[in-house]
Amino acid sequence: MSWRAHGMRAWVLQRFSAAYIAVYVLVILVYLVPNLPMNFLQWREIFAAPVMNIATLLFQIALLAHAWVGIRDIIIDYVHPVPLRLVLMTGMSLLQIILTVWVSMLMFSVVRL
Amino acid sequence: MKFRIHRFNPETDAKPYMQDVELDIEPSKMVRDALIRIKAKDETLAFRHSCGEGVCGSDAINVNGTNALGCLTRLSSLQEPIEIRPVPGMPIIRDLIVDMEQFYHHYRAVKPYLIRHDPEPEVEYRQTPQQRDKLDGLYECILCGCCSTSCPSFWWNPDKFRGPAALLQAWRFLADSRDQATDERLRELDGPYRLFRCHTIMNCVTVCPKGLNPTKAINEIKKLMLKEMI
Ligand code: SF4
Repeated sequence: MSWRAHGMRAWVLQRFSAAYIAVYVLVILVYLVPNLPMNFLQWREIFAAPVMNIATLLFQIALLAHAWVGIRDIIIDYVHPVPLRLVLMTGMSLLQIILTVWVSMLMFSVVRL
Repeated sequence: MKFRIHRFNPETDAKPYMQDVELDIEPSKMVRDALIRIKAKDETLAFRHSCGEGVCGSDAINVNGTNALGCLTRLSSLQEPIEIRPVPGMPIIRDLIVDMEQFYHHYRAVKPYLIRHDPEPEVEYRQTPQQRDKLDGLYECILCGCCSTSCPSFWWNPDKFRGPAALLQAWRFLADSRDQATDERLRELDGPYRLFRCHTIMNCVTVCPKGLNPTKAINEIKKLMLKEMI
């Protein structure tokens, strides 16, 4: 995604990811929270189901997109020196990628096909 | 009544200061009337004004922290001491007068006039009453600048973000059935800055002395962009 050209795309990405995140969080609240506290086996049982597994992966990806646009917005607004911008954007992207890889590894390790 | 007025004369003052002024004036008068009387006593006070009835848009100032037109703001609606400052975020020329060049630059950049690609018709451009209705709430803007100068996004990126006033005008011409430059207009506004610095803070709607809604116009532009994208 280029820095200049995609105001609209970033905006759309942010809206759609927000909608997905909202639905996912709602589902988690309704299905998971009433069963708390749970042990590892119960947790694994829930996230081993392919639907839940993929939904969670998608959630992490939506979160990645949403946070990327949001934090980029904050940086555009408040951080004007270019080197500092570059450092913050890179740091944020790295953190997000590490998180996504981590969640993917978790999900792949428990999925029951 | 008690006033505190922002003063700055770049030729004699190192930095701006607030001047306390006492004035005997009926509370039913407007802030502009008070400024005129204060100037009659101290003619070094500088401020812009002209029509005195909210049509020319030249006397935008910041009164007790809110942008407003001096000519439409009644003294009785304000708490004393009444603090009068120039509108925020713009370079100050003197006392209450700011340099509006940046604001006009953005206005010019949205090409606030009809663009046609077809040959000109022999008669006038025709519009149905419904098409004409779409321009209500848009054409009334007097370019006072109250909205853009109250917008945090405009403060942070005044050189790149078009600001609510210019974007309201951008939509005014996008919404006009006679205009044929939709594509060019939308393309000009894409990118992270010109349109998309708006985060629906809605200060513009709160302060607009003509009761217009730039936020709604901005959302209409986004909707049209989305439609053109898919
Ligand atoms: S939209 Fe309202 S506040 Fe903004 S410049 Fe026009 S009249 Fe003034």
